Amino acid sequence: MLTAAPHLHVRRPSPTTAEFTVSTYPRNPTPALRLLLLAVGALRLVLALGAALLLYAEYWTQFFTLASYQQSNLWLLPAAQHEFLLYHTPLGRLAQEVAARTPSWALVPACVGAIYAAVRRIHVEERLLVLRGLGIQTRSTPGTILLGGPTRFIPTEKIRDVLINEAFWGFGVRYILVVVVEGEEGLVVVFPKLLPRREIVEEVWRGVRGCLFDEGGVGEHQQFHQQPEKKRRFKDTKRRSPTKDGKKSPASVKENSGEEVRDRS
Amino acid sequence: MPRLTYNIAMVSDFFFPQPGGVESHIYQLATKLVDRGHKVVVITHAYADRKGIRYLTNGIKVYHVPFAIIYRSATFPTVFSFFPVFRNIMIREQIDIVHGHASLSSLCHEALLHGRTMGLRTVFTDHSLFGFADAASILTNKLLKFILSDVDHVICVSHTSKENTVLRAALDPVMVSVIPNAVVSENFRPRKYPPEPPAPNNGFGNATPAVHHLGPNDPVVIVVISRLFYNKGTDLLTASIPRILENHPNTRFIIAGSGPKSIDLEQMIEQNVLQDKVEMLGSVRHEQVRDVMIRGHIYLHPSLTEAFGTVLVEAASCGLYVVCTAVGGIPEVLPGHMTVFAKPEEDDLVVATGKAISALRANKVRTEKFHDQVKAMYSWDNIAKRTERVYKGIMGDIPEADFYGYDVGNTAAWNGESHSGVRSFALIDRLKRYYGCGVWAGKLFCLCAVIDYLLFVFCEWVFPRDHIDIAADWPRKIYHSDDDD
Repeated sequence: MLTAAPHLHVRRPSPTTAEFTVSTYPRNPTPALRLLLLAVGALRLVLALGAALLLYAEYWTQFFTLASYQQSNLWLLPAAQHEFLLYHTPLGRLAQEVAARTPSWALVPACVGAIYAAVRRIHVEERLLVLRGLGIQTRSTPGTILLGGPTRFIPTEKIRDVLINEAFWGFGVRYILVVVVEGEEGLVVVFPKLLPRREIVEEVWRGVRGCLFDEGGVGEHQQFHQQPEKKRRFKDTKRRSPTKDGKKSPASVKENSGEEVRDRS
Repeated sequence: MPRLTYNIAMVSDFFFPQPGGVESHIYQLATKLVDRGHKVVVITHAYADRKGIRYLTNGIKVYHVPFAIIYRSATFPTVFSFFPVFRNIMIREQIDIVHGHASLSSLCHEALLHGRTMGLRTVFTDHSLFGFADAASILTNKLLKFILSDVDHVICVSHTSKENTVLRAALDPVMVSVIPNAVVSENFRPRKYPPEPPAPNNGFGNATPAVHHLGPNDPVVIVVISRLFYNKGTDLLTASIPRILENHPNTRFIIAGSGPKSIDLEQMIEQNVLQDKVEMLGSVRHEQVRDVMIRGHIYLHPSLTEAFGTVLVEAASCGLYVVCTAVGGIPEVLPGHMTVFAKPEEDDLVVATGKAISALRANKVRTEKFHDQVKAMYSWDNIAKRTERVYKGIMGDIPEADFYGYDVGNTAAWNGESHSGVRSFALIDRLKRYYGCGVWAGKLFCLCAVIDYLLFVFCEWVFPRDHIDIAADWPRKIYHSDDDD
């Protein structure tokens, strides 16, 4: 309910730059959905704080008494704040109580799990930034909100080709957008987490080739996602334009095969 | 009305890069079906460095499924583990017909079972003959019976093979068609054949190649190309070669192929001191077969069992006179004037070879005409056309009476049971068919079918149909020529 099917958003800040974002964030969230997301966020914050407090109480009750805490140098909090937190707030006392009663083998994993659930990202977002003359950069959101996303920049002179391939993935076959990088054994898969549907992959592929190699035929799919002020900047050559019925042109299908295998008996 | 075309999945464990008869059959058939405007994908398992999805020339898409190989060592778990991937491929390629090849391919059997569960039409092509007596045959036959009790149509490569399959799998004979193998005759031209093929449809007589007579002192060269196994009759060959050479001293043998029986042949050569008359080449690649064949005048084929014998067609196409044992489907392969038949025994083989040598010496056999005649008899275009007719029949696109060739309305003559090729997909009907397979086997097969169905329902729930991308089609060829002849 909180996430949507992966969808594409294209941004073209300049004629030589394009950013393709595939995300599971609802495209046009209704006010109700926004409120719900906000509420879920707040809930996660409370959950994280509560779990942290419990863990802290557990840490303290396991190892120290109040007196020994003040003497020891293993402080996590200064003594005054510590005393206030655990002894002068109702929540602190409750946490102490719970920590004392629950065995630590159950409490610690539960708290860690709760914190993980709280910081885990709900929405996955993967980006592909194309800069003509420079290269392309992939970026995807990490699992949690604590880290920045891993990025990978591939300079133009290293890019041998950008193509759509089919691959066995889990219990099925998926269309994947791959970058062939010079000097590398494997292929770089774009959008490796979301693995969007064929329409999105094709659109990104056309966009990337158009932007990176200045090829025409941005493709008619694009009009659904384009911003109004966006104008077609590439000359529309017949060669790359998709056929009428939306199927791929022979050229693009050929691209698809990667390497054409000629096999004869 | 536009021509009806289908999306066909050829499934077999045997496909390129591994060489072989079934492999090239699938490839050639697929190529010709694509020429006729159909869409063909081939599904096989992954070979060492051949994984994933590849395109061959002509737009044939090949799925080398890596999943099947994981469980290759164990047979039973494979039955269902292939299903999710198979279902995904069927949906994304929008397949109408599943066409399995080779009775020893477990991938093919699974695909036929799953295909029926998914409500697709299925065809099975049997490329081999089997016995009834030994344990392995009994097991294979049971398995075959299980799979074939619910297949829409079966294709055999010869009438003998049809008889064999009908008996093994207890099928209704009208469900079985005979479509032979063919050869690419351009690859099997005789030695002095003009490089430009003569214009089609000008008959045999108009462009007769030059007659080449055998001089009185020229040696007759006998070629044998076969894997040297027991069932290929290598023992017969070992016994007959010294006797043939004794009767006809001006004769040479060229033997190509390898196998466990090659040691026997070598011993025979040593014992009889025949090194200068018998040449053993070892194994040759398929594309070199023609070069070996054109060195000879007679092709000797002593096989003990053979479903079709494509090599005989290849030999005749190269302009060789053929001496072969009359076993299995071999007598159906070539017309009488190209062959001398022998019983599968030593004496008769020697006599038959003697006859062939005498006939060649007397220049009675017009071997130079064989190529054009074979070309007219065996072509993949024709095979594809006949296979397409089978597809039309099972899809219900040609009337049943046309397809099965008798009054299908007259069910009383057939014990009232529906023998119609258009078989019901209802689970209960399928279970009825499986139940008839045997006392214990029937129940086991029913269980398998039910589990398969449940797995299908589970897949529909976990991997919904509309979440599967439809694959892009290779541009279809448009087939113009009309095929009513």
